[in-house]
Amino acid sequence: MVSPLIRLRTLFRRKRLEQELDAELQFHLDMQVAEYVRQGMSPERARVAARQLFGGVEGIKDDVRDTWLTRLVETGVQDARYSLRGLRKHAGYTLAVIVTMALGIGANSAIFSVVNAVLLQPLPYTRGDDMVLLRQERTGVESVGFSLKDIDDLRTMSKTLDAVVEYHSMYFILLGGAEPARVTTGVVSWDYFDVLGVEPLLGRTFRAGDDAHDAKPVLVLSHEYWQRVFKGDPAIVGRVFDMNDRPHVVVGVLPELPMFPKANDVYMPRTACPFRMLSQTLDRRGGGMAAAFGRRAPGTTVDATTTELDTIGQQLTATYPRAYPVNRGHRLTATPLRREFTRGFESTLLFLLGTAGFVLLIVCASVANLAIARALRRDREFALRAALGASRSRLLRQLVTESVILSFAGGAAGLLLAFVGRNVLVSYVERFTTRAVEIRIDGTVLLFTLVVSLVTGLVAGMLPAISRRLNRRPVTIPGPTPVARRDIRRALIVAQVAASFMLLIGAGLMLRSLMKLAGVDPGFNAESVLTLQIDMNFSKYRDAAERAAYLDRILTSLREIPEVSEVGASGTIPFLEGAGQALSSFVVQGRQVERGHDVPRATVLFASDGYFGAMGIPLVSGRFFTRHDTLDEPLVAIVNRSLAERYWPDTDPVGQRISGEGVEWHTIVGVVENVRQQLSLDPRDEIYAPMGQMPYLTSNWAIRSTRDLSELGPLVRAAVQRVEPDQPIYRMRPLTELRSASLAPPRLTAALLGIFALLALVITATGIAGVIAFSVTQRTQEFGVRVALGANRRDVVSMVVAEGLRLTLTGLAIGAAAALLLSGGLSTMLFRIEPTDTVTYVAVSSVLLLVASAACLLPALRAASVNPIDALRAA
Amino acid sequence: MSTVNRSLLLTIDKTPTQNYIFRKEVALARPKQDLLQGTLDLLILQTLALEPMHGWGISQRIQQISRDVLRVNQGSLYPALHRLEQQGWIDSEWDASENNRQAKYYRLTRTGRKQLLEERENWARMADAVTRILQTQE
Repeated sequence: MVSPLIRLRTLFRRKRLEQELDAELQFHLDMQVAEYVRQGMSPERARVAARQLFGGVEGIKDDVRDTWLTRLVETGVQDARYSLRGLRKHAGYTLAVIVTMALGIGANSAIFSVVNAVLLQPLPYTRGDDMVLLRQERTGVESVGFSLKDIDDLRTMSKTLDAVVEYHSMYFILLGGAEPARVTTGVVSWDYFDVLGVEPLLGRTFRAGDDAHDAKPVLVLSHEYWQRVFKGDPAIVGRVFDMNDRPHVVVGVLPELPMFPKANDVYMPRTACPFRMLSQTLDRRGGGMAAAFGRRAPGTTVDATTTELDTIGQQLTATYPRAYPVNRGHRLTATPLRREFTRGFESTLLFLLGTAGFVLLIVCASVANLAIARALRRDREFALRAALGASRSRLLRQLVTESVILSFAGGAAGLLLAFVGRNVLVSYVERFTTRAVEIRIDGTVLLFTLVVSLVTGLVAGMLPAISRRLNRRPVTIPGPTPVARRDIRRALIVAQVAASFMLLIGAGLMLRSLMKLAGVDPGFNAESVLTLQIDMNFSKYRDAAERAAYLDRILTSLREIPEVSEVGASGTIPFLEGAGQALSSFVVQGRQVERGHDVPRATVLFASDGYFGAMGIPLVSGRFFTRHDTLDEPLVAIVNRSLAERYWPDTDPVGQRISGEGVEWHTIVGVVENVRQQLSLDPRDEIYAPMGQMPYLTSNWAIRSTRDLSELGPLVRAAVQRVEPDQPIYRMRPLTELRSASLAPPRLTAALLGIFALLALVITATGIAGVIAFSVTQRTQEFGVRVALGANRRDVVSMVVAEGLRLTLTGLAIGAAAALLLSGGLSTMLFRIEPTDTVTYVAVSSVLLLVASAACLLPALRAASVNPIDALRAA
Repeated sequence: MSTVNRSLLLTIDKTPTQNYIFRKEVALARPKQDLLQGTLDLLILQTLALEPMHGWGISQRIQQISRDVLRVNQGSLYPALHRLEQQGWIDSEWDASENNRQAKYYRLTRTGRKQLLEERENWARMADAVTRILQTQE
């Protein structure tokens, strides 16, 4: 029930308040004198007696002032001034604390800015949280995609979704810019952006009629593409580009937005995509190439949609049993789009946040320790101030004020660090989610930093204050540090060591896992191979024969380059994102799948003549593909050893026949060695189909040469463009570089953890050194006596080091126990390393002990060099 | 121990120079009439409920009505008055006193009146509770 107005008034009427208080007390005193006189005292005696009764006027006044608000502000300002003066005088201490806090708070602000942007904030679409990703699943196959008829059915049958939009992404070749460009194109229904609730930055998005059958093709550019290729040219709207042999008009530019599942360069309405408009695509039912997003109607839940989709799935299965085979476990699902954005990244991110939290705890402990050490040196100052009238609470406030000032300075510096490091962080997060574009140091991050700083300051300031309370002594007697305070400092060191140990274990495990991953043999020779991707012009090479011929011409042209030993192409190439991860079902001729048994499944890949040779994949039996495996010849296939051993454990599968759907049969002509498509994925069953019989639009080429690969680049480009001048060449890179790039996400995660752990180690080592150094100072006399009585200097050194190591070992034991308990949560992030990996634990323990010993050595040597005479004299 | 001496000790308690030395004795010597803060608030509010009054008058009135059992120490009275004023339960005005000097008169506010009712109930409840306990002991 404090009336703030009255309290505030006291802030501005300070002078008058003082005068009134004087007058009020004087009145009381005078009345008392008058009373005594009335009782018969002489005026002089009455005055003395009244004064005696009244007591210290100043004391009363001070108590009264304490009830005024001005007091709080005044003492606050005073405390701050004292603190600043003291901190300026001890610049070393101040700097050490600010730097430590900046690192701890900066790490947390940075990671929080990511968590905030990609996990906490709603999607930056008007009804982003209502959006769901629809999936069509079959047993063991995560997503088979939707056919256009599926999407039409969903749109009409669902009541819980008030909109269903269609999406697929493919590349096209865009002509009319400086060079023929391969653009990743999102192909969408006209209402796509309206349903998401995206407003264009320039021009317009799509509108009804843009996806009519006879509509003129239009394009909307992504913000990133517009900036990168057109340098943000505001006159872009209205420009015309040729694509798929038709002019396309740019009608708008999107704002900077996270896009799912990937960022496209441009968007076009669905009828502009020639591939989609093929009659076989339009008429297809069952699985297809499109993705579908739904928007939940207001007031419905994801659960309701899921239930409804189950029903719709059953109805479709009943109506079209051929398209949606029951025994393959056909199922429709819906998941919130927001969660899909960060699928697989959440655990890493939360782990990083937890790690940063640990760093902050270590920072708190370290700063508290420094503050206690400083408070110890200030015992005299505090005793003096107490003697001069400072209350205990006032002194406590002083300590906390100082600590909070430091933590705010640390917070500001930390924010600066987070700001400076944000680009690095964004490029890291980009590898996991397109929501990386949303990362910024905004109000929420500021508020977070403010709160973290305040809490850090309070915690770090309260600890020395509490330790003071435990040791309240009226007079400061020089002598050993009071026990309670020493214990708190030791406990803090033990806690720091324990937390550092855990961080080091985390980082160590990630590092070991990364090393294992980097050392994996993929089963082929990645050295001296140049790779590149060719996406052929869909509208120019219209049928399979033309495409096969085109690929063959490129193959021939590349082979003519001198010093090129082998050239081959495949649909995808190992180490590329997503390579070898999709599974398809197949049929083995002459074998029935019994009810309740799984259908055979394998990854289907494409390979040209020369591909296995260029990659260095060994042949196990049979033969490789040749130029003669063409459309005119019987269909053939090559399988890997894993598949061969699974289905023909006792015989050579060469000559056996397999098929995708049981319609067209491929004869197995060879078996090749297992290879890893991703370093972290064990080889799966694989079927290769010859490029000549299945000419894929996208081909990835492997060119093996004894030449330096950077010299080879221009020759390769020229060789391709001799065949087709308008052919864009995409991602020309040595295969070793693809391999290294595929390790970037775990490498960056390990690096971040490593930085955090190193930070923790340095802070802890400094803390140990500080505490031991202080204890050495306190025991100077003792050491003097020991040396005087004949103690060896080595004894002194080992005594001091042992003191430090005792603390370290205690912390280590606690840290190890906690790490063993907690590290199980890491197992999904580790590759071929147990979370209880002995090597890591031993290595981390050794490092910690070594660093701790080094930290103790300096103070120990100082202790040993104590001159006994000086030490004893000082006593 | 005389009143004068008690007051002296209490005064020393407020003098921080000797904080440490006297704290113990003061705690022991604290007279039994030394009022708990909440009780002092209640007495002040009750006194002001009758009529507006200055600090001296309040202390005299409490002493008189309690027939010298309760004495209010100025060291407690004035901080209490200022605290109550900051809380908005009383407010003040300078006015001529009975001997024609300017004195600061305190007056109960409307929220102060509500607070008084509440405190009276609390007090009654507590007194009642204590009485019951004392009765059972006999």
